[in-house]
Amino acid sequence: MDWIFLTELAINGALTGLLYSLFAIGLVLIYKASSVPNLAQGGLTMVGAYVVLALAHDAGLPLWLAIPLAAVIMFGLGFGIERVALRRLAGRPVIMILMLTLGLDIFLRGTTLAIWGGTSRSVELGVSYDPLILSDIFISRIHLVGAGVALALFVAFMVFFRTRTGIKLRAIADDYMASWSVGISVEHGVGLSWALASVVAVAAGVIWGEIQGVDQALSLLLLKGLTVAVLGGLDSILGAIVAGIILGVIENVGADFLDPLVGGGSRELIVASVLILTVMIRPHGLFGRHDIERV
Amino acid sequence: MQEKVEAAPILSMNSVEVLYDNVMLAIKGVSIQVPTGEMIALLGSNGAGKSTTLKAISGLLKAERGRISRGEIAFQGTDITEVLAQNRVAMGICHVIEGRRVFEHLTPDENLIAAAPRGMSRSVLNAEKEKIYDYFPRLAERRNSQAGYLSGGEQQMLAIGRALVTQPSLLMLDEPSLGLAPFLVAEIFGILQKINRKEGMSVLLVEQNALAALEIVSQGYLIENGRVVMHGTAAALKSNSDIQEFYLGGGEGTNFHNVKHYSRRKRWLS
Ligand SMILES: Nc1ncnc2c1ncn2[C@@H]1O[C@H](COP(=O)(O)OP(=O)(O)OP(=O)(O)O)[C@@H](O)[C@H]1O
Ligand SMILES: [Mg+2]
Repeated sequence: MDWIFLTELAINGALTGLLYSLFAIGLVLIYKASSVPNLAQGGLTMVGAYVVLALAHDAGLPLWLAIPLAAVIMFGLGFGIERVALRRLAGRPVIMILMLTLGLDIFLRGTTLAIWGGTSRSVELGVSYDPLILSDIFISRIHLVGAGVALALFVAFMVFFRTRTGIKLRAIADDYMASWSVGISVEHGVGLSWALASVVAVAAGVIWGEIQGVDQALSLLLLKGLTVAVLGGLDSILGAIVAGIILGVIENVGADFLDPLVGGGSRELIVASVLILTVMIRPHGLFGRHDIERV
Repeated sequence: MQEKVEAAPILSMNSVEVLYDNVMLAIKGVSIQVPTGEMIALLGSNGAGKSTTLKAISGLLKAERGRISRGEIAFQGTDITEVLAQNRVAMGICHVIEGRRVFEHLTPDENLIAAAPRGMSRSVLNAEKEKIYDYFPRLAERRNSQAGYLSGGEQQMLAIGRALVTQPSLLMLDEPSLGLAPFLVAEIFGILQKINRKEGMSVLLVEQNALAALEIVSQGYLIENGRVVMHGTAAALKSNSDIQEFYLGGGEGTNFHNVKHYSRRKRWLS
């Protein structure tokens, strides 16, 4: 057994996992404020990356300006989605809203295809591709940067959900009717959660766009992001971080063992198994809120 | 005993009709007045239209695809029929909805914070919280535990406390006694009475537990099949033979699930 190699697999797996967390935080934000799983988070992430590219490459702005500007634009888009589409569905069965977010995802993919075409473009963040070498272990720099962004957002949102506004968002997720009854603007709260998730989508879009190029395939990150969010408990930011690391490590180490046996492609199998097993064995995930049952 | 000069009512509801889904007529011309600073009871059996009446006043009808199809509601002299629910809370109407729906995954403290009106300063909010914990010492003890695990009585206290944070001048409660032991009902009603006296807050109390309600209110309305069928002082209602027979007959702690069966057949309008 090559321990150095195994450690390298685990560390890089954990870093990749934190990038899944980065994506999953967006899902958790919306779930935490409205109890709806957002199937359009992949689409938003892709749009976030395209908007950065449009500002940086097409309009010629420097990246340090393009990224915050894209965050502002996406913040507005998030609010707009609530105003135009979700508001009509407030209080309807979750399945309706779920279908709406699925439709939105397809719509966003089609829109980017129509505007920017399907060829993959690169972000050119300027992070060196040479790996960082720490006592014989090779670590990807862009993954390290992305993991840092994920952890920074984690801290920021942990604080946010303890502020008055954050508490109101959690109240909305608990009970729309009770929220209305004390004058909480449910519509505004849901809009805010979509706006914040759209900002997170810019961060995830830039990092993942840098790693795998910007094209419609970015929206497929939803599958791994959803797995992480479900494993973490859907409404837990801490859960998203821990579950991301767990999934990343299992995926990377597991694939190394399994790939020679099944002849490749075991990553998808591992992710799918984690998702299915979580739902079957522990539906509220590692840190998710339990549905309180008391008589 | 009602000969004193009637103050202008804080709430006046005039022949209000409510439709759900544009077809289901749930209340059929209800008129109710809440005099400023008084406690009023709205009594009636299951499905009579009590909750619908409160939702019409608080504006929560909209969330259930209901609407006021006729009549109007005035609060402190202003027509509020078209005002959004959240703006009615800001105006001073707060509705403690049926079934003590606290924010289960939040602590009691966070439940109170969540209800803070926009722009309420931290110091005012803290003072407001302490006042509520003074009224409900049981809540103070459990302020940092998860609200979903509080007892039924504590949850009802929290639901009332949460409404008080909005600083209402009209507090409406929908069956706060439901499923609670008589000593808890007495405790909660006692606190309501105290709040009413100390803060001059007007209260509209929906109850099936007529016995307990008539002890603390000055007047009551009886509603059946979406219509007001009786209105009088608490004393008059208590001595009314129909009310006695169908609402007070079972003595202390009457179980209204048994009584409802009879009251359904009773023709109040005959
Ligand atoms: N959301 C709704 N959609 C359609 N009909 C409704 C709705 N809510 C209530 N109703 C109907 O309106 C009528 C009055 O209901 P309401 O809830 O106001 O009665 P209630 O007096 O509060 O009864 P309870 O004591 O059981 O709470 C009932 O016939 C009920 O079926
Ligand atoms: Mg009711």
